[in-house]
Amino acid sequence: MNGKDQKNSIIAAVLSAILPGLGQIYSHEWRRGLVILIGLTAQAALFYGVGAQWLIGVMGLIWLWNIWDAFSLAKGIRVSTAAPIILILILNLIVSWKVTDIHIPSFQGEQRKVIGNIVSGLGKPDFISQKTRQITATAKYIVIGPGAPASIKQPAVKHGEPSITLSPSKVEKGTIITVTGVDFTPQSKGSMILLGADEIPAGSFHTDKNGRFEMKFVNDRYIPGDYFVQARMVVPTGGWSLSSTLKDAAPRMFETIYLAFIGTALSLIFALPLSFLGARNLMSGNAFCRAVYGLVRVMFSVLRSVEVLIIAVIAVAAVGIGPFAGVLALAIHGIGALGKLYSEAIESIEHGPIEAIKSTGANDLQTVVYAVVPQVVPQFIAFTLYRWDINVRMATVIGLVGGGGIGYQLI
Amino acid sequence: MLRIENLTKIYPNGTKALDGISLDVPNGQFVAVIGLSGSGKSTLLRCINRLIEPTSGRIFLDDVEITAAKDLRPIRRKIAMVFQHFNLVKRSSVLTNVLSGRLGYTNPAASLVHMFGNDDLADARSNLARVGLLEKEHERADSLSGGQQQRVGIARALMQKPELILADEPVASLDPATAHIVLDHLEQMNKHDGMTVLCNLHFLSLARRYAHRVIALKAGKVVFDGTPDEIDDARFKEIYGEDAVQVEIA
Ligand SMILES: Nc1ncnc2c1ncn2[C@@H]1O[C@H](COP(=O)(O)OP(=O)(O)OP(=O)(O)O)[C@@H](O)[C@H]1O
Ligand SMILES: [Mg+2]
Repeated sequence: MNGKDQKNSIIAAVLSAILPGLGQIYSHEWRRGLVILIGLTAQAALFYGVGAQWLIGVMGLIWLWNIWDAFSLAKGIRVSTAAPIILILILNLIVSWKVTDIHIPSFQGEQRKVIGNIVSGLGKPDFISQKTRQITATAKYIVIGPGAPASIKQPAVKHGEPSITLSPSKVEKGTIITVTGVDFTPQSKGSMILLGADEIPAGSFHTDKNGRFEMKFVNDRYIPGDYFVQARMVVPTGGWSLSSTLKDAAPRMFETIYLAFIGTALSLIFALPLSFLGARNLMSGNAFCRAVYGLVRVMFSVLRSVEVLIIAVIAVAAVGIGPFAGVLALAIHGIGALGKLYSEAIESIEHGPIEAIKSTGANDLQTVVYAVVPQVVPQFIAFTLYRWDINVRMATVIGLVGGGGIGYQLI
Repeated sequence: MLRIENLTKIYPNGTKALDGISLDVPNGQFVAVIGLSGSGKSTLLRCINRLIEPTSGRIFLDDVEITAAKDLRPIRRKIAMVFQHFNLVKRSSVLTNVLSGRLGYTNPAASLVHMFGNDDLADARSNLARVGLLEKEHERADSLSGGQQQRVGIARALMQKPELILADEPVASLDPATAHIVLDHLEQMNKHDGMTVLCNLHFLSLARRYAHRVIALKAGKVVFDGTPDEIDDARFKEIYGEDAVQVEIA
């Protein structure tokens, strides 16, 4: 590295400690810096979205790595990115297991609400909403008769807090009660509620510019005793927050993404070793090898040609409704699809390096690791990401037949 | 000493690429193999380290019968190969390419995770220095020029500490000046390290400049075996055909 290009490594480290990626950008490593910044932010958001906040703590390790990386980059040393990438992959796999393990019947109860929210949300998409606060004031009145308390002790009110007074406060059935409220938020709407076993609305009110209001309601309770009325008002506090539509839908969306992720990961685990056995150029040595090659390729074709939805239905029948069935369907179909792509990538490599590595005396495994793997890694990565992309879309559809994720919520 | 007895290779499609070749190559000789395209030069070299399985005939290196060997590892590691198209692993670093020359010696399991001993690492650096490419060790192999890539190929061959070097047209894709640099390295390995060299060459002028002995193949048969200066015009026409003219390479 050129001496005058070098940056102060302490400054770089501090910048990256404040904002991951900043120190790298300071060393003119724009791409690396932006990938770290955007990647870590997106990843943290994802973990937060699926309720795995505790993993954000583990990501502190990556934050430390990022500081070290910025420190080294400023000195002109590029450290390996393998460790953080592997850590991120492992963390996501852990999350995948947890997320896709959700037991569907356990949130049956809130289902109707969620669907309602999504449907109403489709008509009026609101991904963020204003933060609000509810203010209340409570007072008591007595329906006279045998057994009713003789006197009323109203709830204590602090000075300056909203309060309401009732007149009269000793009533019979049919009496009109006048409610007077003071110190509420001016020029706002609120509602009056009769508290009890049920909350019964008793009309609404509107405050004047001094935060006062007056309203009337008719008491229709007849059993002697004391009763509470409450004035409620919802006021904005100035901040903004994610709307409830997004809050309900987001975890399902993340579940879908993770469903696709673990489905892809599982197919990768099986397709990767099999693809080498399904590559003609590596398996033409003798009759046994050619037979294995043929068998593997037929298997890939069969797995790939069965429609995912059908595998999903079978998986649901086998392991029950839920994300696990969806994962299985994606994984099984993915082995066929990825395996074929991987095998074809291996078949398209240059033969020269294989010859060269073999001629050094390398055994078959060494030849694969040194001559084949370096040639196929970029294509393998591209195919895998492409598969994940497809799986996200397929996971949505699979949800419709009970395979979990956002698709399941839509029916 | 390399001994070839009655070597024949018939490809599955019926092509008879080698037709009863017999040769003795004493240790330390620099042999140029010449002949028209398709005469069987590459096939001959690849039969010697059994990248191609001979159809019949026997090959010995130091009284070990290569053609009968079950485990090729200890044989292949003593025979290094240099290729026309270099055959480096393009996406790997120069250093990794050079280190891969040790794969016939290292513990296979350790090498799978790219672990090489310190001796190997020191060797790799000194061999890179020998071909003048030490400062390129961390570059990707395909970022180098053709001549530089072939020098990496030679450093990889040196890692094997071979007895025999098989060079299959090592300079056919290089310009004349670069060709001489590469052949000078082979000559060095022959003279200085005592390695036997079997080198396919296209140009007779190069064979004259570097080889102790020239073997000419035609349709899978040896049609000439002697010193370079024994090849006169008549012999030349016999090897390359009536219409051929000699071209010089500087
Ligand atoms: N894998 C193969 N299958 C069938 N025939 C082959 C194969 N490889 C080579 N041949 C044939 O064998 C003959 C000898 O080929 P070889 O490559 O050994 O020639 P060569 O002297 O190296 O030629 P060149 O100078 O073009 O490299 C040619 O006729 C060629 O077509
Ligand atoms: Mg050839």
